[in-house]
Amino acid sequence: MKKKMNKGTLKKILFYVGRYKVHLFFSIILAALSVAMTLYIPVLAGKAIDLVVGMGRVDFEGMMPCLIGIGILALLTAAAQWIMNTLNNRITFRVVRDIRNAAMKKIQILPLSYIDSKPSGDTVSRIISDADQFADGLLMGFTQLFTGVVTILGTLGFMISINFKISLVVVILTPLSLFVARFIAKRTHSMFMMQAKTRGEQTAFTEEMIGNKKIVDAFSREEKTLEEFDEINERYQKYSLKAIFFSSLTNPSTRFVNSMVYAAVGLTGALAAVSGSITVGGLSCFLSYANQYTKPFNEISGVIAELQNALACAERLFELIEQQPQTPDAENAAVLQNVDGRVEMKNVAFSYSKDKELIKNLNLSVESGNRVAIVGPTGCGKTTLVNLLMRFYDVDEGEISVDGVDINGATRESLRKSYGMVLQDTWLKEGTVKENIAMGKPDATDEEIIAAAKAAHAHSFIKRLPNGYDTVISDEASGLSQGQKQLLCITRVMLCLPPMLILDEATSSIDTRTEIRIQKAFSTMMQGRTSFIVAHRLSTIKNADVILVMKDGNIIEQGSHDELMKKEGFYCELYNSRMDASV
Amino acid sequence: MKKLLVYLKGSRLQCVLAPLFKMFEAILELFVPLVVAGLIDTGIAASDKNYIIKMCLLLVLLGAVGLAFSVTAQYFAAKASVSFVKRLKHAVFEHIGKFSYTQLDSAGTSTLITRMTGDMDSVQNGLNLTLRLLLRSPFVVIGAMVMAFTVDSKAAITFAVIIPALSVVVFGIMFFCIPLYKKVRFALDKVLCTARESLTGARVIRAFCKEDEQVKEFKERNDALTVIQEYTGRISALMNPITCVIVNIGIAVLIYAGAIRVDAGLLTQGAVVALYNYMSQILVELVKFANLIISITKSVACAGRISAVLETPVENDDGTEKISAESENIVEFRNVSFAYDGAGDYSLENISFTARKGETVGIIGSTGSGKTTLVNLIPAFYRATKGQVLVGGSDVTEIPLEELRAAVSVVPQKAVLFKGTIRKNMLWGKPGATDEEIMKALEAAQAAEFVMQKDGGIDASVEQGGRNFSGGQRQRLTVARALIKKADILILDDSSSALDYATDAAMRKAIAEWQGDTAVFIVSQRTSSIMHADKIIVLDDGCASVGTHEELLKNNAVYREIHLSQFDEEESA
Repeated sequence: MKKKMNKGTLKKILFYVGRYKVHLFFSIILAALSVAMTLYIPVLAGKAIDLVVGMGRVDFEGMMPCLIGIGILALLTAAAQWIMNTLNNRITFRVVRDIRNAAMKKIQILPLSYIDSKPSGDTVSRIISDADQFADGLLMGFTQLFTGVVTILGTLGFMISINFKISLVVVILTPLSLFVARFIAKRTHSMFMMQAKTRGEQTAFTEEMIGNKKIVDAFSREEKTLEEFDEINERYQKYSLKAIFFSSLTNPSTRFVNSMVYAAVGLTGALAAVSGSITVGGLSCFLSYANQYTKPFNEISGVIAELQNALACAERLFELIEQQPQTPDAENAAVLQNVDGRVEMKNVAFSYSKDKELIKNLNLSVESGNRVAIVGPTGCGKTTLVNLLMRFYDVDEGEISVDGVDINGATRESLRKSYGMVLQDTWLKEGTVKENIAMGKPDATDEEIIAAAKAAHAHSFIKRLPNGYDTVISDEASGLSQGQKQLLCITRVMLCLPPMLILDEATSSIDTRTEIRIQKAFSTMMQGRTSFIVAHRLSTIKNADVILVMKDGNIIEQGSHDELMKKEGFYCELYNSRMDASV
Repeated sequence: MKKLLVYLKGSRLQCVLAPLFKMFEAILELFVPLVVAGLIDTGIAASDKNYIIKMCLLLVLLGAVGLAFSVTAQYFAAKASVSFVKRLKHAVFEHIGKFSYTQLDSAGTSTLITRMTGDMDSVQNGLNLTLRLLLRSPFVVIGAMVMAFTVDSKAAITFAVIIPALSVVVFGIMFFCIPLYKKVRFALDKVLCTARESLTGARVIRAFCKEDEQVKEFKERNDALTVIQEYTGRISALMNPITCVIVNIGIAVLIYAGAIRVDAGLLTQGAVVALYNYMSQILVELVKFANLIISITKSVACAGRISAVLETPVENDDGTEKISAESENIVEFRNVSFAYDGAGDYSLENISFTARKGETVGIIGSTGSGKTTLVNLIPAFYRATKGQVLVGGSDVTEIPLEELRAAVSVVPQKAVLFKGTIRKNMLWGKPGATDEEIMKALEAAQAAEFVMQKDGGIDASVEQGGRNFSGGQRQRLTVARALIKKADILILDDSSSALDYATDAAMRKAIAEWQGDTAVFIVSQRTSSIMHADKIIVLDDGCASVGTHEELLKNNAVYREIHLSQFDEEESA
C-alpha cells in the first residue's frame, strides 16, 4: 500500500521534473563526466608515483605529462561539477516553485468547507515547510545519490582494471557498513518518534502558557506552570539524549567498517605487491579508490532517509493540490449585472456535515431594496445563511435565486460582486490602509477613499496613524484594535457600494455610540439596496423591513418589529430579555 | 551570547572530554598514512609478509580504538548539549514568566514561542556539532601538515601554501553566503505571508473576487524567492570545485617536489605516498569543516536571539507593603495617567476614583477609550506612568506581586481555557476546590447546565484554548474560574459580550448574590450591564467622569448618547 502510494507520488514528481528535461539530461552527462575525471586523477597520481622509484631513478620526463594531466583534469572536473550543481539547483528550485504555484492556485478554488475545516497552519506548512524539505531531499538526491552511484560503479571499474582479486575483497566487505547503518537506524527510529512526540508536547505547552501569560499571571500560576514545564523538559532531555547518541553511532561505526576494508586492501594489496602482481603506485591508487568507493555507501543511507522524507512531504503537497475543487462555474453561466436585488430562497436545505442537519425547507422572498434583519440565538444558522447567499457553500437542496436567476447557474464572480460584505471576523490584507480600502475598487481616487473613510467614521483614526492612509498594516501585527479593523472593513464596502449588502455582525466590536453614527451611514447606503443584516443587538435592527427570527436552522417567525412584538412569540421574548436587565 | 555559557556549567567535564576524545581519534587517523608508508617501504620492499600482516592488524587496531574514542566523544557531546538546552529552556521559561505586560507586548508572544522551540533545537544541534567536530577538523588539517613536515620538511612546504589558500576560499565563500541565506529566509517569509492570507482571508478575498490577484502576488514572490535561491546556490556550489582544483594542483606539485627529493636520495617512495595521503585527508576535512561552520553560524544566530530574551531586564518584585484589611477603600486611583510604551499620547489621563469593599463599579466608554487599560492597572499588569494606584491602602508597585494577584480575580476579554479538564481549569482559581464549590461557581456563571450535558460533567476534557467550547460557553467558564477564587476584587472585562441579554442578566444577578465584600469592576459596552452599579466610570478619550446612572444620564453627554443608542427614549425614561 505504502509502496504504491510512493510510486504514484514519484510519477507526479517526475511530471514536474519533466519540464526541465534538458537541464536534467546535461546534469546527468556532467555528473558522469566529473566522476570519471575525478576517478582518473588517482590513476595519474599512481603512475607518477610509480616513476619515483628511488635515488637517481626518477623519470622526470615521463612524470610531467601525468602531473600536468592532473592539473588539467582538476580544472575540467571543477567546471563540470559547478555547472552540474547549478543545473541541479535550478531544477530543484524551479520544480518546487512550480509545485507551490500549483498549490496556491488550488487554494483559490478549494471549497470553503475545506478551508474552514482544516487549520490554516497545517495547509501553510504544506506549502512552505513541506515544499522546502522536499526541495532539500530532491537536491540531495540529485547531487549525492546520483554521483554516489556513479562513483561506486566508476571506482569499481577502475579497481577491477587494476586488480580483480583485491577488488573482490572491497566489494564483499563494503556492504557491511550499509548493514550497520540500517541496524542502527532501525533501533533509533522509535527513539526519534518519542523525541518528536515530546517536542510536540513541549511546544504546545509553551504556546499555551506564554500565549496566555496574562491569565497565568492573574492566577499566580507561574511556579506551578514552571514545574509542569520542567517535568516535560526532563522527559524531553531523556529522549533527546537517547535519540542523538544512538543515531550518532552510525558515523563512527561505518567509519570503522571502512577502516577494516582499508586494512584488508592494504593486506591483500601488499601481499600482491610482494608477489609482483601490482605496483606500489597501483597500490596507493587502489587504496585511494577503496576510500572513495566506501564513502558513498556511508552517505547513501542518509540520502535514502532524506529522500523518503522528501517523498512523504511531496505526498502531503500533492494531497493538497489534488483536493476536490469547488464545482466550477458552468460554461454558459449567467453573468449578473446591475441586479435589482430580488432574492428568493425555495425549499433550501443545507448542513455542514451529513449527520447533523441544520437548515431544512427554508423559504424566503425578499423584494428589491428590502432591509432584512436576521436574529436568533447563537448557532441558529444566521451566518450559514450568509454563507449560502454568497455561495461560499452550495445548498444541498432547493434553490436560491437573485433577480430570478438561480445562483448556481450564475458565475461566482458576478454574484459576489453584486454583494458588499462586512463580517464580524475582520480581515485585512498585508498592505497600506489605502490598498485595503480600495480592495473592491482598485482605481478609486484618493478623494473617493477619504470620503468613504469619513462616512465610515474611520477617517479620524486613520489620520492619526504614523503614515496616515499609507501606513502598512496586516491582519496580525497592525496595532489596530478590533474595532478599528472593523471600521476599515466597513470603509472597504462604503467605497465600492454594490447593489446588495450583507452585514454579518458588522459592528460587533464597535462601541454603540460610534455604531449609531455608522448605522446612519449604513441607512443612506442601504437606500434602494437589498440588505441582509445579522446582529444580536436588537436596537440596530428594529427599522428593518423584515425581521427573520431563526432557531435551530429554521425561520420560526417573520415580520416587522411591531408585528413580531404583537405576536408575543420568540422575538418578543428575546427583545424583552434585554429589558429585564433594566427592571 | 556570553551569558549563555553559564548554563554549560554543570556539563563542564563533558565539554572538555568530548573534544578531547575526538582529538584522540583524529590523532589515530593521522597515523594511518605512516603505517601505510611503512607497509610499502619496509614490507613490500623487503617482501616481509609478517611485517605486512602486523601493519594491517595495526590498521584494524587503530580503527577499533578510534571507534571507542569516537563513541565516547559522541556520548559526552550529546549529554552536554542536551543538558545545556534543558537548563537554558528552564531559565528562559522562568524569565519570560517574569516579563511585564509591556515587555510581553513589545517582544510579541509568537517570537518568544519560536525562541523556546525552533531556536532551542538549533542551539542543541549546534552545540552537539561544535563539541564533536569544531576542534577535530582544524586539528586534522594542521595535524596532517605537521605530520607532513615530519616526513619531509622541504616537500611539505606545499602544505604551508595550500592550507591558507584553501582557508581563504572556504571562508570567503561562506562569509559571502551567510547574508544571502538570510535573504532567502526573508523571501520565504513573504511567500508564506501570501499563502496564509489566502487561507485566513478566504471569505473576503472571494467576496471581492481577488483570487487571481492573490495568485499573481504569490507567483511574483515565489519567483523572487527562486531567483535568490538560485543565485545563492550558484555561489555556494563554487566551494567544492575550487577546493578540489587547489588540492589536486597541490598533489601534482607535491609529487614533483617529492620526486626531486627521492631522486637526490633524501626521501623514499613510501614517504611520497604518505604525503599524498595527507593531502587527500585535508581535502575531506575542509569540506566537512565548511558545512560545520554553516550550521554553527545558524545556531549562533539562534543563540543570540535566545540570549536577547534572557538579557531583557525584568522589573523587580521586591515590594514589602501589605494589603490592609482595615482599609475602607479597597481600590483607589490618585491622578493616574498611563501611556503605552512608544505611544505618543496618554491612554488614560489624570484619573481619580475610589471603590469600597462590596461596591460594584461599572466602566463604559467607546472602543479604544481605555477601559481595559484602566482595569489592567489594578493587578499591576501595567504600571501607572503618573500618579498612584492603591489596593488596600498600599501602592500596587510596593505590594509583592503574588499577594496582589491573590487579591484580584480577573476575567479577561479573551476567554481562554487551558488544555485539560473543566475541573483542572477551575482549580486554577482555587487549588483544592471541592466538587461542590466548583458546581456553585459554574451555576453562578450560568455554565452548570451545558457542563452537565458534556460527557464527564466537570471532568469533561478541554482542548487547547478551549476550542471545543463555543465563545459564549468559554466566557461563562472563565467567569466561573474567576468566581471560585473569591478574591477581594473581581474584574469582569467585557466578559459577557458573547452572551445573549437574558443569560447576561441572569449571570449578573447571580454575581450580585455571590458578591459579599468583594469589589466588582464590570467593563462593558452595554449600559444595561452597568446601570445598577454603585459607581459608573465613563471614559472618553482617556478622561473619566464618575457618577451613578441617574447622575450621568443627567450631566454626561457621552453617557447619555451611549445609553440612548441602546434604549429608546421612552424606555429609558
